[in-house]
Amino acid sequence: MTQGLTREQLGITDALVHTYGEIVFRLSNNVQHRIGDPIRTLDLDAVEAQRPALGMSDAQIAARVGLTEQQVTYIRNLAEVERMSTNNFQRLLALGGSKRFRVERFIPHEERFMYSETALRLRAALEFKPEAARRFVESGEWGTDTFRAWLDHWATSTPERLAVSGGNISLTYGALQLAVRRLASGLHASGIEPGEVVSVQLPNGLEYVLSYLGITYYGAVMSTLYMPHREAEMANIMRHARSRALICLAHQADFSPAQTALALRHSGQLPDLEHIVVVGEPLEGAYAFDTLTQTEPQTLPTPVAADPMLLLYTSGTTAGPKGVPHNAHTLLSNTRLGVPEHAVTSDDRFLCAAPYGHLFGQYSLHLAWCAGAETSLLPLFTPSAFTDAIVSERPSVVFAAPAQLSACLATDALTGRDLSSVRMIVTAGSAVPAELVEAIDALLPNGTLCQLWGMTETQAGSYTRHDEPAAVAARSAGRPSPGTEARIVGDDGTALDPGEEGELQVRGSLLFPGYLDNDEANAAAFTEGGWFRTGDLASIDLHGNITITGRLKDLINRGGIKYNPLDVETLIDQHPAIAQCAIVPLPDDVLGERACCFAILNPDASVTLEALCEYLLGHGIAKIKLPERLERVDELPLTPTRKVIKGQLAARFGH
Amino acid sequence: MRKRSQIDPEEAKQSIIEYCKRKGALAVGVADLAVVERVAPPGHRPSDLMPRVKSVISLGVGGQTRGAWSVPAKAMGYFGSTEGRAYTVAYGTSFFIENRFGVPAIYCPPDMDNEFGTRVPLQSLKLHAEVAGIGARSLAGDILLHPEFGYMYFASVFTELELPPDAPLADNPCPAPSCVKMYRQVGRTPCMKFCPVQCLSGTIDENGNQTEMHYDMAACAEMSEQYEALPIMLAEAARSDDPTKVLMDPDNKLYWYKMSVGSGGLLAQCFECMRVCPIATGAPLGDPILRAAAARTEPDPSQ
Repeated sequence: MTQGLTREQLGITDALVHTYGEIVFRLSNNVQHRIGDPIRTLDLDAVEAQRPALGMSDAQIAARVGLTEQQVTYIRNLAEVERMSTNNFQRLLALGGSKRFRVERFIPHEERFMYSETALRLRAALEFKPEAARRFVESGEWGTDTFRAWLDHWATSTPERLAVSGGNISLTYGALQLAVRRLASGLHASGIEPGEVVSVQLPNGLEYVLSYLGITYYGAVMSTLYMPHREAEMANIMRHARSRALICLAHQADFSPAQTALALRHSGQLPDLEHIVVVGEPLEGAYAFDTLTQTEPQTLPTPVAADPMLLLYTSGTTAGPKGVPHNAHTLLSNTRLGVPEHAVTSDDRFLCAAPYGHLFGQYSLHLAWCAGAETSLLPLFTPSAFTDAIVSERPSVVFAAPAQLSACLATDALTGRDLSSVRMIVTAGSAVPAELVEAIDALLPNGTLCQLWGMTETQAGSYTRHDEPAAVAARSAGRPSPGTEARIVGDDGTALDPGEEGELQVRGSLLFPGYLDNDEANAAAFTEGGWFRTGDLASIDLHGNITITGRLKDLINRGGIKYNPLDVETLIDQHPAIAQCAIVPLPDDVLGERACCFAILNPDASVTLEALCEYLLGHGIAKIKLPERLERVDELPLTPTRKVIKGQLAARFGH
Repeated sequence: MRKRSQIDPEEAKQSIIEYCKRKGALAVGVADLAVVERVAPPGHRPSDLMPRVKSVISLGVGGQTRGAWSVPAKAMGYFGSTEGRAYTVAYGTSFFIENRFGVPAIYCPPDMDNEFGTRVPLQSLKLHAEVAGIGARSLAGDILLHPEFGYMYFASVFTELELPPDAPLADNPCPAPSCVKMYRQVGRTPCMKFCPVQCLSGTIDENGNQTEMHYDMAACAEMSEQYEALPIMLAEAARSDDPTKVLMDPDNKLYWYKMSVGSGGLLAQCFECMRVCPIATGAPLGDPILRAAAARTEPDPSQ
């Protein structure tokens, strides 16, 4: 182009380029201005007069500016490189051409939506094994399910069908979709972008339902805080999740989540938290939930099944919270595949006593929304409120934790009440005593009890089917859900035979891909073959039914002999002096561990360790499994799903 | 073979025109060499390429099919080899002239002038065609339009054979009456309104004639020409910790495709101004369907 001459040979300097770049570019053909039609009309004098405007050759520019022709060529080419951006053809690819194109509609690429660093971090955590992903897609387990697709479908096909009810709430699918779009539009307008996390701490009310659907409707990610969570948990979880917003109550009985969040933000502990949305009385510095739900619906981004949708934190009974990311593939495929297994239809009405902040409670919503069924809300569980709701709302499917059902039995809340509407009660959350299953099942004239096993990492891993007898649910959590593989593994990592007890491991299309930013936990949680170590002790019978027998970490290791204290606990719970107990390992210099029994005694009752041991020996318990210490307590620490947090008890001994 | 003095310039011209049309040209004209020599800048005149040139023959072939004009731009963004038809006819014409008349002729290269970089052509085919009377400058960045054939692709042949020149078009078909109407309503013609990079502007007088045309050719070129893309990509790769990731980024990979396959998307304009131009797409003989219909209604000269 310049005959191989260098800048130095041409005398090109940055100063020369800087000085003449603009005028050389202007005089060149890069910018053309014509007056009249001088060439066609052969007005050659006009052509000459207009030459600088029409565009000049490099030689002509050189003569005009006072440079050499080669200098002009060099400078002009540099100016073109500097001025001309690339990828402009994307304009047509984005909008279409011809009269489809409107320049005012075109948004330059650099101004378009970009996932935030926080969103990309979460997206990066959703890495599955490619071979497994291929199988899940090819088998149809992973599909195109999203809440938005489901909600839009039901709002279009059956807009008048009831979606949410309870108390004075009565919302059809059409009305629910509109309310969700309003809230989603409000959140989006406030700057919460797709992929960003919104924490929610709400009871099982309409606001929770709207928040869950509203956040996920346009691709933001919901992360739940459990209702008992206080300042420390809020700070830890929201900081780890990098939550951009929190939707919470103005006040709980003893606590103001909104004010706590404001204080945490003010103190710099939650640097990512931008908005606090408050349900209840207004609070300075916080958005009012009701204001957001009045936003005019806008066109919103559409999420897809591979996008993250839910970031949960494990109940953390033995360790700090671990972030569990899910997308619609894992959660909603498991739901879609579960709908026929539970025989759920759009005629069903769901009632859930378990908290919606937990995946067990959320599963009830997922099933209802997948099938286009109705959800009757129960904001606060008490045995009487629960029973009253069953009688008045007449649900066909009920979700409740074992402890909630136990409480109902203990208070006789269900006895003599009309439970005829219920065709299925689903329970999960811990090893479910057979007596509980049998007692509940006996109260259901037209229904049965379904025992489900699941974790935050899996949703519904196994369950008894709707058409199976209660005896199956009394002794097991049923067979694996569709798309789920399960096995029992011994201490040496080999798979055990049917009936043998060991660790339950699962894998499949329901399984989360790994903990968020926690390599150590992930290394411990997964085997080479992609099996997830659940930490649950279980056995699988010849029919594939899984019986949960406890937690691996709850095993007592006494002098190298490990045993599961579940059968001992079950017997002690039946002792007339004891209301509830938990056996945890006690550190011992000689044997490594000894069993310590924490017990809540019944009013005015008393019992000694010796008497308790006599009682156990009388029921055939081996000496080695006898508790060696008895600690009387007023209450046991419980998870939101009413599981005893043995880790907190063990911590009292430095475990 | 006849001596040059025995060649009838008018007959020769007619035989050349017939040859060109037989080979697919829609319009053929001979430019006034003196005018071209005066208007073209030094270094880009016909005599700079062929010192003994006596005639500049310009020919145009049809632009896109009606189908191509109407499909979505997602596909149109990659089209572009129609101009090859014009070059083929011109190349054959240069052989035809030498065979028939024994006079040197060259097919005028449509290429860029390597001495001046990527955007300076050796010759202005547009100037040749305009002076030869087979196109007039439009408000769409001076793209030539023909009142009957609309938008064409042009090619040129230089020869030492002296041929009688044609006059430029008496009237400029641009702007079309519908464009004038739109301009008076909204201040813009379709080509101005729908240009993806808004590189066109201009004015129309009370008689419906062009008074000013402004064309930001740099903006137009950066819409579709991507000469800067490869060096920018390579520079990014050189600075990156993972050069392969940059070089094989899906968008960047497109440039490799265009480089290797030679798709017109890398080298041509986007033609969106022409897709909305009523002359380009609606001239009486502007596309094969219209031309076929016209041919069916023409009386058969043999009868």
